[in-house]
Amino acid sequence: MTGYTPLLPEGILIGVAALVILVGLFIEKKKILGYFTLIGLLASLGLTISSWNITTAYTGAPFYGAIVVDPFAQIFNMMFLFVGILVCIAALDAYGDHKNQDEFYALMLLAIVGMMTVALSKDLVALFIGFELASISTYAMAGFDKHDPKSIEAAMKYFLIGGLSSSLMVFGMSYLYGLTGSTNIDTIAAVFAENTALIGTPAILLAMVMLIAGFGFKMAFVPFHMWAPDTYEGAPSIVSSLLAAGSKKMGFAAAFRVFIIGLIAMKLDWYIAFVILAVVTMTVGNVLAVVQKSVKRMLAYSSVAHAGYIAIVFAIVAYPYASADATGLAVAGGILHAFSHAIGKAGAFIAVGAVTYMLMSKNAVDGDPNHIDNYDGLGRRAPLTALLMTIMLLSLAGIPPTFGFTSKWYLFLSAIKGGLLWLAVICVLNSALSVYYYAKVIMRMYWGEPKGDAFIEPPMYLFAMTIAVIALIALFFVPDGVYYWADAAAHALLGV
Amino acid sequence: MIGPISAIMLTLVVGAIITLLTNSTAQARAVAIVSSFIALAISIWMFLTYELNPVTHLAFEEGSANNWISSIGIGYHVGVDGIGLPMVLLATIVCALGTVYSWSESKRPNQFFALVLLMDLTLIGVFVSLDFFMFYVFWELTLLPMFFLIGVWGGPRKDYSAIKFLIYTHIASVIMMLGIFAMYYYNGINTGVYTFDMMTLLHSYPTLPISSFWKNFIFGALMFGFIVKMPSVPFHTWLPDAHVEAPTVGSIILAGVLLKMGGYGLFRVLLPMIPNASPYFIYALALFGLVSIIYSPFAALAQKDIKKLVAFSSIGHMGFISLGVAASVAAGLEGPRILAHTGAMFQMFSHGIITAVLFGSCGVIEHHTHTRIIDDLGGLTKKMPKFAILMVAGFFASLGLPLCSGFVAEFSILGGSFQTLPIFVALAAVTIPFTAGYHLWAVQRTLWGPYNEYLGDIKEIKWYEFATLAIWTILFIVLGIYPQPIFNMMQDTATYFITSGNILPIGGIPI
Repeated sequence: MTGYTPLLPEGILIGVAALVILVGLFIEKKKILGYFTLIGLLASLGLTISSWNITTAYTGAPFYGAIVVDPFAQIFNMMFLFVGILVCIAALDAYGDHKNQDEFYALMLLAIVGMMTVALSKDLVALFIGFELASISTYAMAGFDKHDPKSIEAAMKYFLIGGLSSSLMVFGMSYLYGLTGSTNIDTIAAVFAENTALIGTPAILLAMVMLIAGFGFKMAFVPFHMWAPDTYEGAPSIVSSLLAAGSKKMGFAAAFRVFIIGLIAMKLDWYIAFVILAVVTMTVGNVLAVVQKSVKRMLAYSSVAHAGYIAIVFAIVAYPYASADATGLAVAGGILHAFSHAIGKAGAFIAVGAVTYMLMSKNAVDGDPNHIDNYDGLGRRAPLTALLMTIMLLSLAGIPPTFGFTSKWYLFLSAIKGGLLWLAVICVLNSALSVYYYAKVIMRMYWGEPKGDAFIEPPMYLFAMTIAVIALIALFFVPDGVYYWADAAAHALLGV
Repeated sequence: MIGPISAIMLTLVVGAIITLLTNSTAQARAVAIVSSFIALAISIWMFLTYELNPVTHLAFEEGSANNWISSIGIGYHVGVDGIGLPMVLLATIVCALGTVYSWSESKRPNQFFALVLLMDLTLIGVFVSLDFFMFYVFWELTLLPMFFLIGVWGGPRKDYSAIKFLIYTHIASVIMMLGIFAMYYYNGINTGVYTFDMMTLLHSYPTLPISSFWKNFIFGALMFGFIVKMPSVPFHTWLPDAHVEAPTVGSIILAGVLLKMGGYGLFRVLLPMIPNASPYFIYALALFGLVSIIYSPFAALAQKDIKKLVAFSSIGHMGFISLGVAASVAAGLEGPRILAHTGAMFQMFSHGIITAVLFGSCGVIEHHTHTRIIDDLGGLTKKMPKFAILMVAGFFASLGLPLCSGFVAEFSILGGSFQTLPIFVALAAVTIPFTAGYHLWAVQRTLWGPYNEYLGDIKEIKWYEFATLAIWTILFIVLGIYPQPIFNMMQDTATYFITSGNILPIGGIPI
């Protein structure tokens, strides 16, 4: 067993998930299972953080090199677990009385195990299994409010488009296997490095297009983003939080591994694709976010825009004139930005969930509970929620003193370092544009006229948001630890 | 043991947090006044015991480079010199008296006073930072308290003005950020040490072996960030809107200190870089200054709202700073260049105090008569004689009357610039009658003439308004007669900059 201790975080989660389902069959008061889930996640997070810098590759049975534990996998696992903890805490309020809440917890745990598997895998098959585990669990979660037609619609769209994207991805993977005779990402990279004749052949181009499309769906790149706003808006807020903060980052973990390791020999070919995707994604995301009337949908589009920022990492890594430290900085910056976005976006969706919850508890909903009109005067009706949400929005907008600012600083710095000034200019102008729609929500919260009396703020939602905000502010002031980790992750990924 | 600069910042942070937790005007005001006056006392103490370290040419230095986020070379490094210390003093004076001025603020007093303290903190942070990361963080942070001050306590078009202020200046800041990145990166390549330390980067910039595109990009991006904040015509459009809608103390801080961030950036960041910049940038800077100086009186003449008139007057006065900076680096004798440099620095301090009186007066008028439209006013002297004295003093100081600090500043700038930029000075001088004209005309229409009976029975100025305006008035008169304490401090720094070769005169400017 000792050799497998680095995989203990995943093992714990699987065990807890099985227990939660099993025990849930026999007990009436299921809220306790939520706390149990939380303990499992915390234990798993503790183990992940304590072993952040180990590197273990499982070469023999039963993994045959498919699984590798390294700082890159661990930092993504830490992100997934952190988001899982936030969602789990919020779920204690959101589904505290729900009769099927055990299923929610179990599905969430399995989704997180799936995401962690993707981060750990160095093999296309393992990667695909993890992808599907996370996807199928989240399909069910998106439709968890089964009496709400919007939730069902969200789940349906997510499921259909997710299924399509999975099939495209497998299609691309099958070509890679056909061309190289291996599903191991390192072996694929080695084969391409040796047989330069393969580069630029139609088969490999087709494989890359399929993979970009497949991963692009999960990462919500424009034009594969159509499902994201509908799903994020319709799904229960805390599930949206898991989707935007967790499942999307899983797409990045997979794309980092497959493109930056496996297909690095073809970087000139995917450079153009990712540059265009990045610019289009961030611009479309931001422009569409500006016009949204629903806060939740606005957050969904902002999530699309953030995918665009992170996508510049691929452009910088593939840029032929970028220096070696620029690529390292870019990957580290991308990971940091993914992390800051995960915390900020998870927290913001939880805040939206809290507002819906408060409105529901007052029976004060007419129409869409996420409509921006409901946020008028929130600063006085629910002062803590408004304050915490403000800080999270500022972090998403990249305004100090928040982690979102430093991660953007790091990411855009790497663009300049890589010599892509024009890309950096587009990024910062987009980022400046994004301030508009975040500020609009803050304005409504603080100087809109309240439409009712004060709310009773739900404690567990508040607790989850407080953790997120503390993390955002603490990581601004004391970022060294996570910087070193991201740096180590970048080195592990790039193998330098 | 923490140094005085950290002590000021800590006082203001703690003060702001405690203020936020209070629940009445009296409590919030008491905490805010105490903490802002502690900050003022510390800065006065710094002013009195100011002594430069001969090696680093800094005083009250704390922290060091790269000690905060060492992996990418970010440090907590603060310190002041003859440029920074007067600005810290200005920020603490304006903000401390600003809290007294807002004595009777009754709308969400705890948040209001906390935001004023945060404003003070972030402004001081800009003036003391010696690390580009910190500098940029504080630079951005100044936006937030002002955004909320305009938004929550502002006038009818507050939504539009607050968001315009935020987005407009934020765009300028992010462009500036890219300039900082490029400087960081090329310095790193050149020396092998990646750091955001301001002194290291500024010292190495003139000798960086980089293409002229990147040189110009770095300089242009930083300059853009600064002149939008100043603001120079044609990037000034956010300012009148922000002023018209901001609450009075917001306007006082905005015009009195926040605009000075742009001027401070010119002195602190751009001047040491100039030897390696294209001379066209110096032209551009002088031209921006000149256009602002010429544009402002004519725009002000057309205003119906007295606050907007004062806002446009700020644009002209800030134009003198750009002109002085440009003149101090153009090829010429050392003496006049030092004079122009010192005058421009002194203008920042002087304008900060004078404009506080002007906006304070606008606030008093609005508070007592419930209008700011000049045509609706008239004959206020009859009802508010004490107020009239202060307002007249403020407007006369603003138009550049001798014996007031504004005269000293603008006279030094024009006198110092004449040798290097004579045509610019001549054109700027032509507008002086118009500047005098709109000030006098505004005073004439509001204070003198027949009293407008529609205003009803208005009361005399409140004691706290009178006291703050009077202190500012005394300050600018004292500095107009005896400017040496601050002027000499600035002159030492200017002399150091100009004679130590930190600023090389750029040759070949034909005007």
